[in-house]
Amino acid sequence: MNWVFVHLLRKTLCCIIIAGGMSLSCVSTVANADDSQAAVRSIQSRMVKIFGAGGLRNLYSYSTGFLASPDGHIVTVWSHVLDQDRVTVILANGRKETAVVLGAEPQLDLAVLKIEREGLQLPYFDLENHASAAPGTRVLAFSNMFKVATGDEPLSILHGVIAAKTKLTARRGAYEVPYDGPVYIIDAITNNPGAGGGLVTNTQGELLAMIGKELRNNESNTWINYAMPMSELTPVIKQIMTGDYVSQETKPDGEDNPLRYQPLDFGLLMIADVVFRTPAFIEVVDANSLAEELGLKPGDLILFVNDNLVQSCRELRQEFGRLEAGDDLSLTIRRDDKLMTVDAIVPRKVNEN
Amino acid sequence: MSTLRLLFLLCFVTLLPNFSRHVDAQNSPSLTELEEQAFKQAVALAEPSIVRIQTVGGLDRVGRILTSTGPTTGLVVSADGYIISSAFNFISKPASVLVEFADGRRFPAEVIATDRSRMLTLLKIEADNLQPAEAVPADQIKVGQWGVAAGRTYSPEIPNVSVGIVSAINRVWGKAIQTDAKVSPVNYGGPLLNIEGKVMGVLVPLSASANTETAGVEWYDSGIGFAIPLEDVYQMLERLKEGEDLHPGLMGVTFRRNDLMEGDLLIDMVRPDSPAYRAGMRRGDVLLSVDDIPLTRVGHLRYALGTHYAGDVVPVTFLKNQKKIETTMALVQTLIPYESGFLGILPQRPELTAPRNGVVVRYVYSESAAEDAGIKKDDRIVAFQGEPVTDYESLWTLISRERPENEVSVTFERGALKETVKLTLTGTTEEIPLDLLDEFIPPPAADEVDEDLPTGFTTIPMEAHNHEYWTYIPADYNPAYQYGLVVWIHPGGDTMEASIAQDWQRFCDRRGIILIGPKAAKINSWNLNEAEFIKDAVLDIQTRYNIDTQRVALHGYASGGSFALHLAFKYRDLFRAAAIAAAPITAAPPENDPETRFQVYLTCGEEDAVLPKVEATQKIMEARKFPSVFKKVEGRGHTYPTSTTLEEIAIWLDTLDRL
Repeated sequence: MNWVFVHLLRKTLCCIIIAGGMSLSCVSTVANADDSQAAVRSIQSRMVKIFGAGGLRNLYSYSTGFLASPDGHIVTVWSHVLDQDRVTVILANGRKETAVVLGAEPQLDLAVLKIEREGLQLPYFDLENHASAAPGTRVLAFSNMFKVATGDEPLSILHGVIAAKTKLTARRGAYEVPYDGPVYIIDAITNNPGAGGGLVTNTQGELLAMIGKELRNNESNTWINYAMPMSELTPVIKQIMTGDYVSQETKPDGEDNPLRYQPLDFGLLMIADVVFRTPAFIEVVDANSLAEELGLKPGDLILFVNDNLVQSCRELRQEFGRLEAGDDLSLTIRRDDKLMTVDAIVPRKVNEN
Repeated sequence: MSTLRLLFLLCFVTLLPNFSRHVDAQNSPSLTELEEQAFKQAVALAEPSIVRIQTVGGLDRVGRILTSTGPTTGLVVSADGYIISSAFNFISKPASVLVEFADGRRFPAEVIATDRSRMLTLLKIEADNLQPAEAVPADQIKVGQWGVAAGRTYSPEIPNVSVGIVSAINRVWGKAIQTDAKVSPVNYGGPLLNIEGKVMGVLVPLSASANTETAGVEWYDSGIGFAIPLEDVYQMLERLKEGEDLHPGLMGVTFRRNDLMEGDLLIDMVRPDSPAYRAGMRRGDVLLSVDDIPLTRVGHLRYALGTHYAGDVVPVTFLKNQKKIETTMALVQTLIPYESGFLGILPQRPELTAPRNGVVVRYVYSESAAEDAGIKKDDRIVAFQGEPVTDYESLWTLISRERPENEVSVTFERGALKETVKLTLTGTTEEIPLDLLDEFIPPPAADEVDEDLPTGFTTIPMEAHNHEYWTYIPADYNPAYQYGLVVWIHPGGDTMEASIAQDWQRFCDRRGIILIGPKAAKINSWNLNEAEFIKDAVLDIQTRYNIDTQRVALHGYASGGSFALHLAFKYRDLFRAAAIAAAPITAAPPENDPETRFQVYLTCGEEDAVLPKVEATQKIMEARKFPSVFKKVEGRGHTYPTSTTLEEIAIWLDTLDRL
C-alpha cells in the first residue's frame, strides 16, 4: 500500500473547507450564529500565514501561526519552514512583515517568532485565557493548510469533534515525535501540509490547542490529527517571550535498550524467538528460581509486565531490560483460559556485588 | 427523529451538570451546544458495551499491509460474554486475544468464528452480567441523521469519538450503513451510534469490489466509512456462536454481458456441480429472480446475493426454453473449477464414412485408468456408464460429465470378447507420449482425388479483409478423413513463412495436419482488429478442407505467441489448443468452460528474459484448470524452438483428442 498516496487521497476527500466567517451557520444553526461569526472573525484577525524555507524535495515552505502579543510575538510549530534567518509573515489584513525566531523548544515542537518591526499594536490572543475539552466537544480548526488562503484572505476552517485526549507516548515507540505530553485527537483531517501552528477552538471561539505536525501512529499505521493543548504550551511560550526560557537538555537516551535484566535472570527460558512477533511463552522454568517461586510454569504466556502489554518475546526482553533491582515486578500470565497476576520485587543480579 | 423526541432528548442532556459548562443561565443553549452534549451523552450511554481488545503475537504483515499492534475495539452482544469486532482487527492471526473493560477488568478471549462476508469476528470471554449493545431497528436508520462512531483505543477509560451523518444505507450490496464519521483502525469493531446512544452498526473496513480481509482500509478517515447493521449481527449471531465461519454465498453462473448496469441476465457459464447447476440452470437460460428480488441487471444479483451466506437456501426463478422454472438453491462457499475425468486413451480417427459402432483405442497411456482396467490398443469401446458409445463425440460427452475420482463402467469389445470393467477416472495427463506413432492416413484412391482442392503450398486471398493467408495441405490429402489444423501466428516483423513451412511440412504429412499462416497487414505488428480476419481465415479453410474441430490449434512465437493467446480466449469456440513459444499471456483468461476444452503448451528458453512472465502464464493456466505443459529449454535464449521441441509439440498436437 502506498501510504503517501492514500494519505493524500484521504486529504483530498475530506477537506471540507469553510471559508472563514462565511458559513458558521452550518455548525451553529440556531441561536448564536451571530456570536460564532463574531468569534470567528476575531480569531481570524489574530492568525498569520508564515512563509519560509522549503519548496525543495516536496517540502512545503509555509505554515500557520497566531499572535501572542501586541508587539508581534507569533507562536507556531517548530519545523523546517523556520530553517532560515528570516521568515515572511502575512498578517490577517494582508500586510507583509519579516520575523525572526525568538526561541524554540524542540521537545514541544514549539517555536516563538517576533516580527522585526517595532511599535506595532496588533490584535493578539491572551494565552492564559484558554479552555479545555472532552471527547465529543465540537471544535473548529483554523489553518492555512495547502496554502489555500493568500494575502488578506481568511484561513481555512475545518469543523469536527475532539475524538480523544491521550498521550502520544502512551505506548513507547508508537509515535515519531519528541513531544510526550497529552494531545487532543481531532476527527477532522487537520494533519495537512502547512496546517502546523494553526489553532483549534471550541464553537465559542475559546482557545483549545495548537495543531501539530503531520504524524503517523505506528500502532495503527494511520495518520493522526492531533493538537497540543494550550495548557501545555502557554508556560513555555511565556518564558520564551520574556527571555527566561532555557531550552531543556535532550533527555538522556537511556530508554533505548538497557537490557539490565533478561528472562534467565528470573529463571525463565522463553520459546525460541523465531518470528517478528513470537508470543512470550515460557519454555522452561529453572528449579529454585524466582519464576518457580512465583508458580510460573512452562506453557504460560506472559502478557503484561508491570501493566505494559508485551506482544512478543522481543518486547518482553525490552521490558525486563528496563527493570532495576528493587523495582516492583508484576507479571500477568495466561494459563489455559485464565489470567493470573503474580508480584515480586526485582532481586539483585547474582553476578552483581 | 420526531421533534418531540429531540426536544425531550435535548432537555435531558441539558440537565446533566457536567455537560452544561457552556450553558449560560440567562441564555437558552444553542442547538450547536445541545447537539454537542447529545453526542457525548450518546457515547456515555453506549460506553459499557464498548470494550478494548489487545492482541499478542501474530504476523507482522499481511500482504503489503503492516498489521497494527495497537489496541482495537469490540462490542458486547450478549450478557454472557460474546463480543463482536471487526475481522480486520485479527488479520495478524494473534496467538492470544485479551478483552479489557473501562474499569480495568481483563479477560482472555477466544476467537469463536468469523463472518467473511460482513468481515466481523466473534469473541467469547468468561464473564457474566455484561451489557449487550442495543440495536436500532433498520427502519429507524435514516440517511442524514447523526452518526457517532466510537472506539476504545486511545484511552482505556474514555471512548474516542468521531461525529458524522448516515450517508447511505444498504451499501456494499445491501450489507452496510455508510457514514461520513471518521472510521479507521482506531474504531474498527466499535459502534456507529445514533444520537440516542443506540447502536446502528459495527464499524468495519469494506469494499464493494473486493472481499479480502484488508479491502476498504485504504478509505480510512476519508469520510467513506461503513458499519454492519447491529440488527443483522444479532440475526446471524446464533450461527456464529456455533463456531461456524460464515462465507459469502455463491451460485456459480456467469453472464454473457458483464456490464453491471444493463441487459438481461443471459447465462453464459454454469460451474459444474454448482448451486445453479443443481437448480437446473444451463447456458442460454435467463435468470429472472433470486430471493424474490426481480433481476433486470447483473448488478441486481449482487444485491440479491450480497446479504446471503453459503448454506442459505434462496428461491430462484429462471427462463429455460421460454418456460419459467421456479425452484430453490443452496448457496455454497466455493465453486469447483471445471475439470473433466480422464480415461487415458487416444481414439483412432476413422474414415468419415465408417460405421459408427464405437471408439477404437489407438493408444493407452501408461499408468492410466484405462491401462489399470486392462483396456488395450485396438479394443473397441462400445458403452460408458451403460450408455451406448457410437463415436468420439458421444464418448467425449459422456466422459465430460464425470469428474476425476468418479468410478465409472466401460464396456469394450476385443475380437469376439465383450467385457465391462469398473474404473476410477483420473484428471487429465500432461504427459506427452513420446512413443506415440504417427497415424497413417491412407492416400485417396486415384479416382477420388478432387482436382479443385490443391495440396502443398498455396496462398489464399481473403478479399473481404484485404488480407491473405498461406497454407500447407499434406501432399496426399484424403477428404475421407479429418485433419488437425495449426494456425501459425507470426511474430511482429517477420512472417517466418519459409522456415515454418520447412519445419512443419513433415509433421503435416505424417500426422495429418493442415497448416495455415495468416499475414498481418503490416508485417511489423498485429493489430487487434485483425483478430476477425484470422477467425475468418480459420472458418474459410474449414469450408474447403475436412478439419476436426477438436484439433484446431494456434501456434505462435514471441509477440505472435501473445497474440495467439489473445485469439484463443477471444474465440473460445474455435480453438482447442495453443502451442506458444517465448511469449506470455497479456490479459487474464476467462473461466474454463465445461463444453469447450482448451489446452496449452508453453515453451521458453532458460536464458530468455521473458521466462518469468511465461512461468506466471503457466501458473494462471493451472489455476484455471486448463491442461497445460511447460517446457523450459536449457541454454536457449529468445528463439524459435528447435526441431526436438517441435517434434514434441507435434506429438502433443496429436493427443488433443485424448479421452
